[in-house]
Amino acid sequence: MPALLTTRRRLLAGAAALAATPAFAATGQHNVTDAPVADTTSAADLVSPYGRHQAGITTPRPANGMVAAFHVLASDPSALERLFRRLTERIVLLTHGGPLPETDPKLPPPDSGILGPVVQPDALTVTVGLGASLFEDRTWLAPHRPRVLSRMTRFHNDALDADICHGDLVIQFCANTQDTAVHALRDIVKNIPDQLVLKWAQAGNVPVIPARPDAAPESARNLLGFRDGSANPDSEDAALMERVVWIGPGNAEPDWAADGTYMAVRIIRNLVERWDRTPLGEQERIFGRTKMSGAPLDRAEGTEAMVPDYAADPEGEAVPLDSHIRLANPRTPGSEESLMLRRPFNYVNGVLKNGQLDQGLLFIAFQSDLEKAFVAVQRRLDREPLEEYIKPVGGGYFFVLPGFAAGEDFLGSSLIAALSPTSQTSSQSIPGRPVTD
Amino acid sequence: MRFLTLAALGALAFGGQAYAQSEATLDLVGPISEYKLFVAEQVDQLVADTTAFVEAVKAGDVERAKALFAPTRINYEEIEPIAELFSDLDVAIDSRADDYEKAEQDPEFPGFHRIEYGLWEKNSTEGLDPVADKLLADVTDLQGRIEGLTFPPEVVVGGAAVLMEEVAATKISGEEDRYSHTDLWDFRGNFDGSRKIVELVRPLVDDEAFLATVDKNFATVDEILEKYRDGAGYVTYDNLTEEDRVVLAGAVNTLAEDLSTLRGKLGLD
Repeated sequence: MPALLTTRRRLLAGAAALAATPAFAATGQHNVTDAPVADTTSAADLVSPYGRHQAGITTPRPANGMVAAFHVLASDPSALERLFRRLTERIVLLTHGGPLPETDPKLPPPDSGILGPVVQPDALTVTVGLGASLFEDRTWLAPHRPRVLSRMTRFHNDALDADICHGDLVIQFCANTQDTAVHALRDIVKNIPDQLVLKWAQAGNVPVIPARPDAAPESARNLLGFRDGSANPDSEDAALMERVVWIGPGNAEPDWAADGTYMAVRIIRNLVERWDRTPLGEQERIFGRTKMSGAPLDRAEGTEAMVPDYAADPEGEAVPLDSHIRLANPRTPGSEESLMLRRPFNYVNGVLKNGQLDQGLLFIAFQSDLEKAFVAVQRRLDREPLEEYIKPVGGGYFFVLPGFAAGEDFLGSSLIAALSPTSQTSSQSIPGRPVTD
Repeated sequence: MRFLTLAALGALAFGGQAYAQSEATLDLVGPISEYKLFVAEQVDQLVADTTAFVEAVKAGDVERAKALFAPTRINYEEIEPIAELFSDLDVAIDSRADDYEKAEQDPEFPGFHRIEYGLWEKNSTEGLDPVADKLLADVTDLQGRIEGLTFPPEVVVGGAAVLMEEVAATKISGEEDRYSHTDLWDFRGNFDGSRKIVELVRPLVDDEAFLATVDKNFATVDEILEKYRDGAGYVTYDNLTEEDRVVLAGAVNTLAEDLSTLRGKLGLD
């Protein structure tokens, strides 16, 4: 097995001794959007839920994902703390796995059983975010709302369906297999019925590519057939992630929000029949990249990792000025401010009433400033030629809570502490959170 | 990747604590016979109310038929776990347009909801005579069959949860009474039917915390429904605020989860 694949597998497998091994040593940049490689994952893969940041953001993207949005029932701080603690308990349990208990056959089994008698970790991550409505609807919580957390509003090409938009709380599930994500969702729905009422959910996946010895990693393809994520910032670059993804002192956010991040979710329908009837050259000009290799059009014989040189192409003769990649990231001074970490999945939902396929992109992006990143980029993309072939129909904006440490700490403990500065539980748990590099 | 720690596999029991084996022999004879009396009263009322409802339909009195629709159904909704034992009648009395390939236009579409469709969507009783006659015949048939029925204890006790599943699956969305929007009446029927069962077996349930949670959620439901009371009944479902709908959904889902253990708690298979 090539070194790269071995490293990735060992990394995911979670052997403690390997934690100190430099990840992906000397193999170049690795993106969360790299396509998963066949035969490099296992049910035993464990992604720790603990840490300064939640898992499922800069951790490698496995083949399957799902986003579920909920209404929250919590009318006071203690109810919210109770919800966070219960979620933490489920997350710790689900991500580590373990054997199911013996069940009295006269009672409903406590677990759905869809993963069999022993639940495997399967690289499961469970990432929790809060929507603007959670804060707005509660006077005691409203003053603590993250600075730029807002309710997603319509962009130029959107046709938002209220049934698949927004939510008080969002959970992103990612795992090697869809069954593991589904199992986790069902576990949470079953165990927290009095505080979480499911609003919508969208599952997705990315294509697993065959192992090719010594080949560079490649970005997974979207359902338009293009590689998606080529220009993503390097998720292994901790300093870059501090700048692009994680809330820090420079973000003028409430103290409790440090180490969290903003999540933009968009359910973007792809009009695939129409796309498939569009000439290849036009498809490539719309994106600004070649379809097969992902190379930018100004170096079409190159690779997707190559950076387009817009200064040398001011008229857009090679990479059109209104192409998707050029509008999204013009690579001009200042535009690095709008960098974000994309971590999307493709979805396939069946057939629409008009007989066309209901397929698209479950777009997910993380950033330290929602306005400067996703919103700014999407505004630049308004009226792009790609709009003829895509239709955003759902999603929402969320604030992803900081991570939590093993032991007494829990998800959202810093917010709960901010709500009740004298609370004993909270003041204990904050210093307990690990401080790493 | 940071923070990789080896899991202490199984350190936490999956699915919470293992349930204690429950006792299998409990005296349910009293509660069951009391429940049978309750159901008999409800179905007698159902037959009487349906008779008046059918008369209004056949007399072409749309307004009167509309007024009688929800209060007539409520007795059916209360005893649904028993009524459902006769699946042919349940389909004939209470199936919805979605159950038929051609929906409302399907000639097979019968019962309360077929009449509801005519009254509210067409504002007319035209063509409803045979449907109304059949409804009354079916409801009367149900009355006779219930009279001769030996009530299976697991169905009676399990019925408390079944009624909550009904609400969770078809009422919360407002799709049950989609033409008349009288869903809150049906809610009332389902909740009262469920609570009746809980009350009857309460002395046999040796779990105070469980009963306290169930009581609390029934109280939440009462509180919400009370806000929407209008005379003897309720305003239409579209008046329900999103916030109240969510509170109701949370209470219903929790009742469904909790009451799903009631059979087992009483040692019934």
